[in-house]
Amino acid sequence: MASAVAVTTPDHLFNMRNNFYLGAYQAAINCSDSLPPLSPDESLERDCLVFRSYIALGSYQLVINEIDASAATPLQAVKLLALYLSSPDNKESVISSLKDWLADPAIGNNPILRLIAGTIFMHEQDYNEALKHTNAGGTMDLHVLNVQIFLKMYRSDYAEKQLRIMQQIDEDHSLTQLANAWLDMAVGGAKIQEAYLIFQDFSEKYQMTGLILNGKAVCCMHMGNFDEAETLLLEALNKDAKDPETLANLVVCSLHLGKPASRYLSQLKLSHPDHMLVKRVSAAEESFDRAVQSVA
Amino acid sequence: MLTKFETKSNRVKGLSFHSKRPWILASLHSGVIQLWDYRMGTLIDRFDEHDGPVRGVHFHKSQPLFVSGGDDYKIKVWNYKTCRCLFTLLGHLDYIRTVQFHHEHPWIVSASDDQTIRIWNWQSRTCISVLTGHNHYVMCASFHPKEDLVVSASLDQTVRVWDISALKNKTASPGDDLLRLGQMNTDLFGGVDVVVKYVLEGHDRGVNWASFHPNLPLIVSGADDRQVKLWRMNDTKAWEVDTLRGHMNNVSCVMFHAKQDIIVSNSEDKSIRIWDATKRTGIQTFRREHDRFWILSAHPEMNLLAAGHDSGMIVFKLERERPAFAVSGDIIFYTKERFLRCYEFSSQRDTQVIPIRRPGSTSLNQSPKTLSYSPTENAVLICSDVDGGSYELYVIPKDSAGRGDSGQEAKRGTGGSAVFVARNRFAVLDKSSNQVLVKNLKNEIVKKSGLPFPADAIFYAGTGNLLCRAEDRVYIFDLQQRLVIGDLQTPFIKYVVWSNDMESVALLSKHAIVIASKKLVHQCTLHETIRVKSGAWDDNGVFIYTTLNHIKYCLPNGDSGIIRTLDVPIYITKVSGNTIFCLDRDGKNRAIVIDATEYVFKLSLLRKRYDHVMSMIRNSQLCGQAMIAYLQQKGFPEVALHFVKDERTRFNLALESGNIQIAVASAKEIDERDHWYRLGVEALRQGNAGIVEYAYQRTKNFERLSFLYLITGNMDKLTKMLKIAEVKNDVMGQFHNALYLGDVRERIKILENAGHLPLAYITATTHGLQDVAERLAAELGDSVPSLPEGKQPSLLMPPMPVMCGGDWPLLRVMKGIFEGGLDNVGRGTAHEEEEEVEGDWGDELDMVDVNGLANGDVTAIMEDGEVGEENEEEGGWDLEDLELPPEAETPRASVNAHSAVFVAPTPGMPVSQIWTQRSSLAAEHAAAGNFDTAMRLLNRQLGIRNFIPLRSMFLDLHTGSHTYLRAFSSAPVVSLAVERGWNESASPNVRGPPALVYNFSQMEEKLRAGYLRQQELAAYFTHCNLQMPHLRLALLNAMTVCYKAKNLATAANFARRLLETNPTVENQAKMARQVLQAAERNMIDASELNYDFRNPFVVCGATYVPIYRGQKDVSCPYCSSRFVPSQEGQLCTVCDLAVVGADASGLLCSPSQVR
Repeated sequence: MASAVAVTTPDHLFNMRNNFYLGAYQAAINCSDSLPPLSPDESLERDCLVFRSYIALGSYQLVINEIDASAATPLQAVKLLALYLSSPDNKESVISSLKDWLADPAIGNNPILRLIAGTIFMHEQDYNEALKHTNAGGTMDLHVLNVQIFLKMYRSDYAEKQLRIMQQIDEDHSLTQLANAWLDMAVGGAKIQEAYLIFQDFSEKYQMTGLILNGKAVCCMHMGNFDEAETLLLEALNKDAKDPETLANLVVCSLHLGKPASRYLSQLKLSHPDHMLVKRVSAAEESFDRAVQSVA
Repeated sequence: MLTKFETKSNRVKGLSFHSKRPWILASLHSGVIQLWDYRMGTLIDRFDEHDGPVRGVHFHKSQPLFVSGGDDYKIKVWNYKTCRCLFTLLGHLDYIRTVQFHHEHPWIVSASDDQTIRIWNWQSRTCISVLTGHNHYVMCASFHPKEDLVVSASLDQTVRVWDISALKNKTASPGDDLLRLGQMNTDLFGGVDVVVKYVLEGHDRGVNWASFHPNLPLIVSGADDRQVKLWRMNDTKAWEVDTLRGHMNNVSCVMFHAKQDIIVSNSEDKSIRIWDATKRTGIQTFRREHDRFWILSAHPEMNLLAAGHDSGMIVFKLERERPAFAVSGDIIFYTKERFLRCYEFSSQRDTQVIPIRRPGSTSLNQSPKTLSYSPTENAVLICSDVDGGSYELYVIPKDSAGRGDSGQEAKRGTGGSAVFVARNRFAVLDKSSNQVLVKNLKNEIVKKSGLPFPADAIFYAGTGNLLCRAEDRVYIFDLQQRLVIGDLQTPFIKYVVWSNDMESVALLSKHAIVIASKKLVHQCTLHETIRVKSGAWDDNGVFIYTTLNHIKYCLPNGDSGIIRTLDVPIYITKVSGNTIFCLDRDGKNRAIVIDATEYVFKLSLLRKRYDHVMSMIRNSQLCGQAMIAYLQQKGFPEVALHFVKDERTRFNLALESGNIQIAVASAKEIDERDHWYRLGVEALRQGNAGIVEYAYQRTKNFERLSFLYLITGNMDKLTKMLKIAEVKNDVMGQFHNALYLGDVRERIKILENAGHLPLAYITATTHGLQDVAERLAAELGDSVPSLPEGKQPSLLMPPMPVMCGGDWPLLRVMKGIFEGGLDNVGRGTAHEEEEEVEGDWGDELDMVDVNGLANGDVTAIMEDGEVGEENEEEGGWDLEDLELPPEAETPRASVNAHSAVFVAPTPGMPVSQIWTQRSSLAAEHAAAGNFDTAMRLLNRQLGIRNFIPLRSMFLDLHTGSHTYLRAFSSAPVVSLAVERGWNESASPNVRGPPALVYNFSQMEEKLRAGYLRQQELAAYFTHCNLQMPHLRLALLNAMTVCYKAKNLATAANFARRLLETNPTVENQAKMARQVLQAAERNMIDASELNYDFRNPFVVCGATYVPIYRGQKDVSCPYCSSRFVPSQEGQLCTVCDLAVVGADASGLLCSPSQVR
């Protein structure tokens, strides 16, 4: 296999990266303090990871303030993402500067910039534009984003091709495993079990995070095992009472268990009014009213 | 060859194992016989009475005896218990080469250079037979292990087999021996007791050794012609079978192995050779540098051999006896012979799983060494020394249990060791390049990782981690980070045992156990004098391990102790409570129940679980000096107190733990000055003045007592002390007390009485007691002392202490920590009882539920078809779905995603869209968010027009149809459609129908709850049965009302019904009869009532008028309520959903209805 070359140098950022991928953002940030001396490239990657972790934690303003104009391109890209997510008002300006930067041949090919571009266009639901920048791949992050875009487009066949590429690069990489689990869940059927095993492996290997717990819970729900899913989700809620996916999945799980879900729903509506479930519910309400009109 | 023990000594010529104890006798060329304990490695005894080399030695099978024969022509029988030579058998006329006890008769056979073999009776101490025939030195002679035969080898180049059955018959009674003494000489010259059966000729030089096969009619011999020959015999003849060539010098000893099909020989060429007895080829050769081998001996029961050479002897075994095993949860996998077997701990069931490769008999020690198991993939890695270290990977088929010999071809590879590091990954150590290869279950290399240290073995260390052994260190290496997580200096590690929670690891080496954390932080090291064999963690973090002869424990703090002794070595596989599971050397699983009290107690102490400690003290027989010493040493004197009866020890422990009450009690019992004194010191330290006073009083230590009163400000007692001193005539004491009290007069009095008049005078003058001074001056006369000038005298008064009298604030003393424990126990049981009561409640409700199910109505309402659908139709779905794979419908926009110009694919079809395309069920459309279709369907099927009440159900169905997966950080979440009826074999990419939040079991539950209530009401209703008088009242009322309204006919009807009830009240009957009479005269109703008692009717749901049978009506398609025809087209008033009389096809709630 292509990558089966023995490498001996220690990978100092491994833990940090891994924590970030698995949703242990605070742990990733904490990791950054206790690293041995790093090369310039490594320290840039570390900074990106730190700021991306802060973004994931919702601390957009911190990122915007910390990254000044003199920072390197990847960091600027991260800042763009923070700006984009912090307020809907920034969207247009962010997108226009993003497009400018991407057009600049000097920096347009930077993987982090492309990653951020992919992420932002995904939020815009402009999957074609997103893929334009990410499809070439280059880093595991980009590949995994591709997988997710294809899944969003309901094109699991393409997602699977991306996954094959990732598996050739490093089959045991956390992102490969994660992407594998997402794909398994998206195609459903017997694959759900494999996804469950992947999350199970994660939970044995690393600290339990909301992401892992949610992954397991979603697998359980898809396998019809709503009781276990509820236990897992409540554990996740214990870890982070405001985690939007936990709340959303709890709503779904409670409905299936015949338990009242309204509390979780209103909690979600309060804390994350933009969440997909909230949007779906309000869209559904509107469409119901419309449908009643049309039937009446 | 696995060397177990070695000695250095003079040349060893004879060897014999003890059958039960770990002992071996070695007879030396120097004339000494040594008795060794080969397990402990110690010399137990030496017997030095022979003159010259001792060539033969043999233990008796059951008696504490052994026999030896030497170059002094003497055969000596020894008792090893008394360390004495019991007697000497004389008769041989030259060196004695070998001696051997018979396995059942009291005989000894000896071979000598005098060309004879003699058989002796050691009870009568006589020679009972002389076997003549060899015409050169007889080098060895031995009994057959079962038959009446002796085999001998001689330098006359022959091996002879002798029949001794005649001897056996002749000596049936021991008395005969004496009678036969006279016959000895005749025997010597051609006696007929023992006859030569066969003479085996074939060697061309002198034969040094010959021995029987333990159960086959075979003989093996070794000679100075450097050959080993194999002979076979039957009842009539014996012949040469084969010759084993290979030794380079005289073969000194040769024998069959009792348990394996091999022959072992040794020689003066300084080698031991192992031969395959069937193929008759050499398997292995072990060489020594300088020492010629002289003798071999096998253990009569165990798998041990010993060999004597020029400078000592070695005890060894040829093959490892430890079965390879791996524990996974409740199951242990292990290898036995050529099978992988598994054993379930809970059920103690043992099954054969799959056949594995037969260990090649071409060389030794090729059997599986370690085993690694992946529970999720049900795969097993078996490592052995084949080809210098290799592994085999087997995947156990799911239905393997009891499957016969149908072996699968294993995936193989070479490597130092192989272990699973994740569910479907294993690591193989490549020693030559010092790399770890990570492979998948197809045996393909996935990753290579160089190690930053020279490793010679790898072990499991949690997912993705390896524990690597590198000479005198072990490392934990993270395969993904390629980082050393921890390392530790240890002796050479042989086995690694992880605790159940993977937090601690025990590293077992030959003579030491190192306990470390998962990051290899050292916790403790235990050293053993004998070999450590195995170990396992119990659930409380105690490490239970075995040595060759003990089961022992090791607490987390490094304290260890013996649990019990062992007769034979065992390999612990799992510890579960009081039960230890282990494998023995025969590969059998055993469960041993042990007494865990001691270590559980110590562990409780360590963990400060004092309630446990207390209850254990109460309920078990834990005591003994060892335990007290342990407690004291570990700083738990107060716990030790509970064990001790001896007052002195109790007193000491009480003082150590500061328990003053117990100390006082003990001191009273002991009542010795020294103990009171020590009690006083401790009490003073704690500030317990009362006890201090008591202790001083008991020892009559008045000075201390006075001082105690002084410092505690107890003036009354001080005064008393003054008086006591006066009574005792203790002037100094009196004076002290007076001084303490500040009592000047008293002081003067004392001084005066003691005759110190000048002092008394000065005291009086100084303190201004003029009258006394004058009187004293008068008495003194001229010798009145002069007082110093210019001094301001003042009275020394002791300061009053702040706290007067009682105890000072006491030091906090740890005591009574155990009192709480008992209370808890009491409360605990109360809790349990409460819970039991609750449990009973639950049962009752369940019973009601069962009744509910039996009720016919419930099943009727459960819309018959649905039940069947739930159970049977799901299976059919998959087949149907295959017709429409989603990909088929989506056009493929880009053919080549990797081409230079990237064209993004067109989006695929969301699952919810697939649902709506395929379904004609309203609920599934609602779940897919396709509300208007859902409504149209319901309208068509049930005539429903008012959907507002269904709003929440629609929304819930839709909300519950997707789950949310946060994928990559900061990217939008992915929603996933939840499908119904998942099973393990469902094919991916084939969409099932949506999982609906309203399912049948929920509805059933709700209905059951509803009917439960109805039943309850019904039950209550039975208690308020409508009484006959009440019914009469109702009828009377109806009759009166009708009569007054001139509805005479109806009134008559009521009157008749009233009379039918036989009213007891005469008034009512009379009135009814009157009404009836009046009505019958005029059977007309003034007004028409919409009431016909003769005809069954239902009531219209909207107008509340009766609809009699046969009349036209309309009904609601949803709830089946009946209405008068005028209501048609209106919304049903009962269910508020459907249109009355609407044309409805009936609800479709199952795909099966569509078909």
